[in-house]
Amino acid sequence: MEKVIDLTPVQRPKGNESAPWAKIELKTRAAVVLASVVPGAIALAIFFATGIDFMAMLFAIFMPIQVVAAALVGILVYGRRGILEGLLVVVTIFFASFIVVLLFSVLWSVIDNGSRAISWQFISQNNYYIKPNTSLDYGGVGHAIIGSLLIVGTSTIITVPMGLATAVYLTETQGKTKGIIRTLLQAMSGLPSVVSGLFIYAAFIASGITSYAGWTGSLALIPLMLPTVARVSEEALRLVPQELRNGALALGAPVWRAFMMVTLPAARSGMVTAVLLGIARVIGETAPLVLTTFAADRTNLNLFGGAMASLPTYLFGFISMGFEESLQRAWGAALVIMILVAILFTTARLASRTRSQVRK
Amino acid sequence: MTLNVDRPVPERRKLAAKPFSKADRVFFGVARAAAFSAIVIVSLILVFLVSRSASTFAEQGIIDFIFGSTWDASLSPIKMQLWPMLWGSILISLIGTALAVPMAISIAYFIEFMAPKRVAKVATLIVDLMAAIPSIVLGLWGAFVFTDVAAGWSKQLNALFGWIPIFENNSDNFLRSPFIAGLVVTVMIVPIIASITREIFSQMDRDIINASLALGGNRESTLRKVILPTAGGGVVGGVLLGLGRALGETVAILYVLNLVFDTNWYQILESKGGSIASMIISKFGEAGPEEVGGLMAAGVVLFVFTLIINALASYIVAKAQPWRK
Repeated sequence: MEKVIDLTPVQRPKGNESAPWAKIELKTRAAVVLASVVPGAIALAIFFATGIDFMAMLFAIFMPIQVVAAALVGILVYGRRGILEGLLVVVTIFFASFIVVLLFSVLWSVIDNGSRAISWQFISQNNYYIKPNTSLDYGGVGHAIIGSLLIVGTSTIITVPMGLATAVYLTETQGKTKGIIRTLLQAMSGLPSVVSGLFIYAAFIASGITSYAGWTGSLALIPLMLPTVARVSEEALRLVPQELRNGALALGAPVWRAFMMVTLPAARSGMVTAVLLGIARVIGETAPLVLTTFAADRTNLNLFGGAMASLPTYLFGFISMGFEESLQRAWGAALVIMILVAILFTTARLASRTRSQVRK
Repeated sequence: MTLNVDRPVPERRKLAAKPFSKADRVFFGVARAAAFSAIVIVSLILVFLVSRSASTFAEQGIIDFIFGSTWDASLSPIKMQLWPMLWGSILISLIGTALAVPMAISIAYFIEFMAPKRVAKVATLIVDLMAAIPSIVLGLWGAFVFTDVAAGWSKQLNALFGWIPIFENNSDNFLRSPFIAGLVVTVMIVPIIASITREIFSQMDRDIINASLALGGNRESTLRKVILPTAGGGVVGGVLLGLGRALGETVAILYVLNLVFDTNWYQILESKGGSIASMIISKFGEAGPEEVGGLMAAGVVLFVFTLIINALASYIVAKAQPWRK
């Protein structure tokens, strides 16, 4: 008879016993709750009772009390070493919420001000005959939406194959220069957008090849879009298990066929994410378009014929005109851009979520 | 077993590391061409900008162009010197980075080590969303919503700490200062630094963190003695990437900064400052051909400067993740 040796030295305790550090005493829990509620309550009470400046209240009353309270809880839980622990928690949460407040301020001001300007007519009409102080009942961003779609669409058509092929080089080949390319792509992602615009201006417009036109704008967006597309699709290709590739190769497929029929379909949703994030990266780019496509008031469907409006240049033009109505138009255009970005972003999220579910 | 003499052990097959079919060669060729297009684009940018600005560099002198501080298109001969803008860009980026680093590290730490899973997911979404806000929208927000608030903060800073030279303000005008521009830049670059830091944090070896906790360390000592030293390189790289982005920021700064060709060395609350990128876009509209050459030259300086910082940053990030090959 076979002898079974039990190699587990000690049976691990079941349930709550197995993780003693996860048990938090009632006393500790109560202290934490008190420390996070009481300082805020005191500060708010003083704020409403005396009506002092909100920022002064925040920094002169709330923060000191909160810091002391957190340090006390730290001492209660960890002994004297706990003071810094309490401080860390307070500082972390303070900074994190500060930035969240700023973000919501941005979103709220765009939604609040933008929704006053937006209407069907604002989205569909163009800007012809519109003066800075024309009432919002006339004109809109229709021509700019069409222009943005044309310009960004063209650069997408050019950039996506380039970015995808770059990702292929980074994941599927044994090239020796992979590290350099990756570093360069990372560095390109920090390329100042105005430099990209100047580049296209110097190459095509200053040299007299063309005047302001839509296609120069598309070209100016390529260096900005390429790093995003390449890096995100590189991540997507990297997630495809090596075994799939090896299987296809072992069955006798040439590398390109293995890639096209096995790797690429497996990474499809990641590719969609890469494209969408790339578009979201450039759809709000202003400086390169100001330098290359200029602005136009009329709808222009021809990428090769004359100046072309786009949402960012429309917004750029209306910000500094100084009339109430022009400012309203700027907020409206900002809201349209944010809605476009949000749509792209949500779709990208959904696409990448289906990928992870499939993998499970 | 007997050895089959008719069929001896076959000759060892040659292992091919190179593609041997024509289609594969095309496939790899296309991939390589695309990868090298990144190099080509960067060099083309440099070539075109330098060729357009060579005359400016020649006329103004490279040293004078970069370190002088007069820009006047009405003079004859025209005088173009960049230093106030270059220093302004650096100053604003330094303010922005100094404010963004603690916030970004806090957020990354909160997401990775403090928050429950569901909260962490939402927080990650928020960070990604922030990264997706176009800079012109931030500029609009900065100019019409945030400036007044930030001017109030500046006033209080000046009232409390006015005796420190950097918080001096002699003009009683707190609008359009480098400090406000720095705050707007902070909103811009926090998501960049935070997402890189979070990635580095999430790839850390959990065992050493657990070991530190098991030895009686608390959160603070674990962060200070284990997490930051281990993840330090990657965090520095992320910070440099944020710095590069801040240097090149254009339209978000344009509306919240008073561009003046008079070097503002350190008085961050004064209503004067500079930024190369914003200066280019604001002067471009009414620039004559000669001044456009000067703007191109400014673009070259900005490009070379950011490229060096970004390349350094991505090198550091790559070094900090040796498991990524």
